[in-house]
Amino acid sequence: MNAYTNCIIETSGITKTFVMGHWKKRRTEALRGVDLCVRTGEIFGILGPNGAGKTTLMNILISLLRSDSGVVRVMGREVTHRFPASIKRRMNMCSGNPNFPWSLRPSEILRFYAMLYGVPRPERDRRIERYLHEFELERYADVHFDELSSGTKQKIALAKSLLNDPEILLLDEPTVGLDPDIALKTRELIRRIHAERGITILLTTHYMREAEELCDRVAFIRQGRMVALGTRDELTAMTKTADLEGVFLELAHP
Amino acid sequence: MNWRIRRIAAFAYRNFIFSKRNLFAFFEILFWPAVGIVSIGLMGDFLELSADLRSFILTGAIVSGVLQVTQLDVSYGLLYDIWSKSLKQTFLAPVHPSDYIIGSWIVGVARGVLTYVLLALFSSWAFRFYVADTMAAGIALFGVLLNALIIGMFVNYVIFMFGQRADIITWSVSVLEMLVCGIYYPVTYLPPFVQRIAELIPLTYFLEYFRAGYGYRPVYGMLLAKGFGLSVVYIALLFLVLGRAYERACINGMIVRLSE
Repeated sequence: MNAYTNCIIETSGITKTFVMGHWKKRRTEALRGVDLCVRTGEIFGILGPNGAGKTTLMNILISLLRSDSGVVRVMGREVTHRFPASIKRRMNMCSGNPNFPWSLRPSEILRFYAMLYGVPRPERDRRIERYLHEFELERYADVHFDELSSGTKQKIALAKSLLNDPEILLLDEPTVGLDPDIALKTRELIRRIHAERGITILLTTHYMREAEELCDRVAFIRQGRMVALGTRDELTAMTKTADLEGVFLELAHP
Repeated sequence: MNWRIRRIAAFAYRNFIFSKRNLFAFFEILFWPAVGIVSIGLMGDFLELSADLRSFILTGAIVSGVLQVTQLDVSYGLLYDIWSKSLKQTFLAPVHPSDYIIGSWIVGVARGVLTYVLLALFSSWAFRFYVADTMAAGIALFGVLLNALIIGMFVNYVIFMFGQRADIITWSVSVLEMLVCGIYYPVTYLPPFVQRIAELIPLTYFLEYFRAGYGYRPVYGMLLAKGFGLSVVYIALLFLVLGRAYERACINGMIVRLSE
């Protein structure tokens, strides 16, 4: 277990409503006031049923979305309305079912994103070589992205998310749709990355076992609201259940 | 190299690979423009046009190819990410839409110049096309490349505002612009209200400047000042509204939706 310090990510009362349609407006409340404190160096899980608002929350925390109200702080800076490049450079994200330009090869994908994050040339080449080796991607050097298996695509996404040496890594359902053996390997990779680098990881998942294995603390979101927060033991004690699966069943539906 | 230049270089690198690997890139650079040149050239033969008039209309066909190839590069910079659903991955990085634009345009300029050279050589071989003034042609060509940047930026802006369903304008805006700016004819042949629109488009002046060397008396004065002046205004304005459109896309969720 890491020695936690202050909140590296902090949200206070954030809300988000999506308005769809041009003529007939449809409103969907995705987040209804979420308060969160993710401590430096921990693996923090965000759990909840489909449509609970997990991915919306992640997208706000990584700057792809702006919240309607509330405050978001990352690394001590308020980023609610404007996400400075100096903060974005120190974060990264890896999603399940990742997509990259179809016709690029693994090394080209990594090179492109390393350039986007401003990694200078000699270091860029070193990191690309390292991750191609570490994630066993060397043998796919000449294969286009769209010809790769889901597991290999996921490895590329993970490798890409480490290129800028992030201090905060967001993993949005990183093992969704993967075969059990590949999912297991991915979890081992996440654990190793965390142990070696001590980075803060935010993880959303639908697999409760995954959350139990990886997360130091877990927040449970339902219908855009955080309904529980704590360690595995705290949550099971609170709900009088045996594991996070029991917690999920207890909290998923009001 | 500073951060911004690295990001711009990243998009140039990616567009270069797309172009290198894409069979359709060959069609864009050579096939369709060459088909246009052959059609126009044969029509010139049939009408027994003088060398000057023949070069006048072939200039239109060549500029049409250059404009289309270069603006497609700028538009495709964003569209490739949307088609492959990787837009989200790109905007996770500290990227501004202007990085996309400039990086893609650099490759577009290279492809546009290549298109111009190849089509001019082919036209001179097949239909006795000639460049009246190399320096003037170079300046006008740069103006056309700037105009392609404006079209590409406009396409990017519309896509950020209205989503992928607006991608149809990628192929239609430039064709419409060529029609209004008098690609094969002086703008005086257009209805008066269309002429007023043409006067607001830089391409009109660059086409006039291109063709002035073929014994043609331009309709307007101060062609380069007007062409480059308008280009600078539109580019500055589009950079501004593109930044706003991106911010809006982050607020209404368009960036995420374009990745799904």
